[in-house]
Amino acid sequence: MGWKRAVGIRRALRRGAGLGVVVAGLGLAGAACGSNPATANPPAVSGAASVAYAGSLQLLDEKVIGPAFSKATGYGYQGRGGGSFGVAQQIQSNEISPNVFESIGAAPITLLEPKFTSWYVQVAASPIVVAYSPKSPFAPQLRAIAEGHEPLSDLFTLMEQPGFHLGRTNPDTDPQGQAFCEMVQLAGARYHLPPGTAAKILGPLDNPSQVFAETALEARLQAGQLDAASAFLSQAIQLHLPYIALPSAIDFGDPLLASTYARAALTLTGGKSVHGVPLVVDVTVIGAHDRAAAAAFVAYLLSSSGRGELRRGGYSLVTPWLVGRASAAPKAVRHALAGS
Amino acid sequence: MWVALLGPVIVLLAHLTPRAILASLSAPGSLGPLAVSIEASAVALGVLVVIGTPLAYLLARERLPAPRLWEAGLLVSLLLPPLVIGLLLVFMVGPATPIGEALSKIHLSATNTFLALVIAEIYEAAPYYVLGAQAAFAAVDRRLEEQAGMLGDPPGRVLRRVSLPLAAPGLAMALATGWARAIGAFGAVIIIAYHPYGLPMQIWVTLDETGLASALPFALVLLVVALPLPLLAYGWSTRARARH
Repeated sequence: MGWKRAVGIRRALRRGAGLGVVVAGLGLAGAACGSNPATANPPAVSGAASVAYAGSLQLLDEKVIGPAFSKATGYGYQGRGGGSFGVAQQIQSNEISPNVFESIGAAPITLLEPKFTSWYVQVAASPIVVAYSPKSPFAPQLRAIAEGHEPLSDLFTLMEQPGFHLGRTNPDTDPQGQAFCEMVQLAGARYHLPPGTAAKILGPLDNPSQVFAETALEARLQAGQLDAASAFLSQAIQLHLPYIALPSAIDFGDPLLASTYARAALTLTGGKSVHGVPLVVDVTVIGAHDRAAAAAFVAYLLSSSGRGELRRGGYSLVTPWLVGRASAAPKAVRHALAGS
Repeated sequence: MWVALLGPVIVLLAHLTPRAILASLSAPGSLGPLAVSIEASAVALGVLVVIGTPLAYLLARERLPAPRLWEAGLLVSLLLPPLVIGLLLVFMVGPATPIGEALSKIHLSATNTFLALVIAEIYEAAPYYVLGAQAAFAAVDRRLEEQAGMLGDPPGRVLRRVSLPLAAPGLAMALATGWARAIGAFGAVIIIAYHPYGLPMQIWVTLDETGLASALPFALVLLVVALPLPLLAYGWSTRARARH
């Protein structure tokens, strides 16, 4: 009822030649439609979704989606967060054994292929913003930019001032850390900033005066010990931090602008070169433990209830796409995607 | 019980191969965190000895007003999870705090610097050292100190010639515990001193970047570096107690 079903096929360009597969995408369009498991009485089921998620999803998963999923389906829920790449490494080394992995960006999931999974579904985009402290001496200017009274290009002029305390996460371990550096690069071109502005703002990739653990970054901003910091829109909303929204051409939150984002590139500390990619919440099921519960969790994310919770949490809804071997995905996930 | 306690160490050794150790430790810059950890822990321990030892002595001899209050203060800092200590240190020594502003006037910062690492280690290790040292001083027979005083030794000389030598075995153990806590400090460190990488941060970041196999050799290094001092202190302390 009310489903708008879009069926599409596209190539998974982001996945590299390893899988080299045609991607079957079964899309669901429109957040306002879809099944609503919360309305049904939960069936008598056993098992739990053990979800390893990107740290930025913590509040939403633990406080909203996890409890709502349990209530709707009857399955248990337990979650743990961390940097997406870090979580992938921990799964790969069998240090943790979740049955669902929610990552920011597909790269951490592809690290686990083909041993742990061979597909994923993109459920939402997570644009980055520049969050700022209302206690900062720069707060009036930052507020003026946020409210559109001053041009966004002023933000970058402000951030390159020597007395400006900027915070960001580690680009070597965190997709948001990479995206923020790439955002500054893209902004330089978009706003015709003087050459070298990005280097002035960011300093070295692993700049000790800017790079913090994600938890420390949020704490420092809330404590007024940073003027501004990179953040996902969802984090800024959940932590009630004022923020400056960025245009979609540089906020990494629109999968359709993948080629624009790819123009930015970074060389990580280990020498690896990475290009900008959309920051999309990708989810997959891992292993065989409580697979039904894991599949139900992914299906819940694709339901109208789950999508509504993601949207209210500050995520941009995208048409869900299954990337990889569709036949390897549990039936419940394919069913939710197809809406049948 | 002993084997159970050593379980993680046994697992660590079982999962390491000479090749993996060599590969991890021969990467450019991989030994920098070792030097950082040793230097920061040595400085932290030095500060603890200079400030913590007199405090421990005064507490043991109940020479401070409201001694229970002082002890409660130490217990509170012992009970606080290190992560919470780190978060509170942000409010205390961050760049926009009075302390942070005073530090910046002398071109210092307690954010992601060597100083920040030392501060975090001091806060994580201090209660362990001070409470250990207090117990060591409390175990010294007061009558011996009083007799030395009656023989005309001034308080400073009594402390130097009687109290400190008799408390030395216990102080050595307190020092060893403080060292182990300082060099292994992580919870407060990740919040205020993400840089420069000491060994615990190096383990964490390596785990994130390249996984468990590359991170474990650094855990072995941490163990090898941190262990000799406690072992020496324990051995010396046992022999000294046997002599007494």
